[in-house]
Amino acid sequence: MFRKRDPEMAARIPPGQHLTRGWPVLSASPVPRFDPATWRFRCTGLCDGAEWSWDEFRALPHVTVTSDIHCVTAWSKLDNTWDGVLFSEVAKRAGVKPEVTHALVKAPYDYDANLPIDALMDDDVLFAWNHDGEPLEPKHGGPLRLVVPKRYFWKSTKWANEVEFLDHDQRGFWEVRGYHNEAFPFEEQRYSWQE
Amino acid sequence: MGTDPADVWKLVQRADELVKYARNRDPHTAYAQARAVLDEAEALTGQLEQKAGDNFRAQIATRRDDIARFETES
Repeated sequence: MFRKRDPEMAARIPPGQHLTRGWPVLSASPVPRFDPATWRFRCTGLCDGAEWSWDEFRALPHVTVTSDIHCVTAWSKLDNTWDGVLFSEVAKRAGVKPEVTHALVKAPYDYDANLPIDALMDDDVLFAWNHDGEPLEPKHGGPLRLVVPKRYFWKSTKWANEVEFLDHDQRGFWEVRGYHNEAFPFEEQRYSWQE
Repeated sequence: MGTDPADVWKLVQRADELVKYARNRDPHTAYAQARAVLDEAEALTGQLEQKAGDNFRAQIATRRDDIARFETES
């Protein structure tokens, strides 16, 4: 349990955030149906292209990463353990072109979130299928979600099934609806009118 | 300029809440209420600086498009 007198833990909580022990569910769309027989993950845009089935994706080299979640709705959840494939591994296999500067990570129902490619290539950014050792629940983005710990959590696309590599920035679903393009929690970059 | 962008944003978020729960209520009424709140928000944007006002108006237009799409889907 977090106590305010624990300075090390307090330093991990961005301004305006409070800790939660649960995991609130906030989604812009219904939960998509997952069929492992038909599920595909695609890399499109400025790359050689790649496509994996569920079994193929699960067979990629994978890692375990522990990180914190900071949701723009003001809750934070610390010490989450994720199992999955690093974004950099996916990008390497997709043959990303040198002119790529940004990417959109997409999901069903026209959801997407944009980030600079440098941010996505960090060694703590992954496509995760497990949370704390258990398969990621559909309501939390299962079977696969992006995890970008250094940004507010809407950038961590739930139900991720495509990366589009771009040579320019292009705002995603929430970014065109008034949320900040960069979304750094420790700078409280919540809304686009702050830009 | 007399309006705080946060005041406009509160109205936009209010519209989002109405849309979010529309399918648990009478969707027609909920979407009409959301549109009314967006109208209220848009009226306030005239009191913001040009860039902030333009950005909010674009976001409000996107939400109106969302509502129109939700209505055809429901």
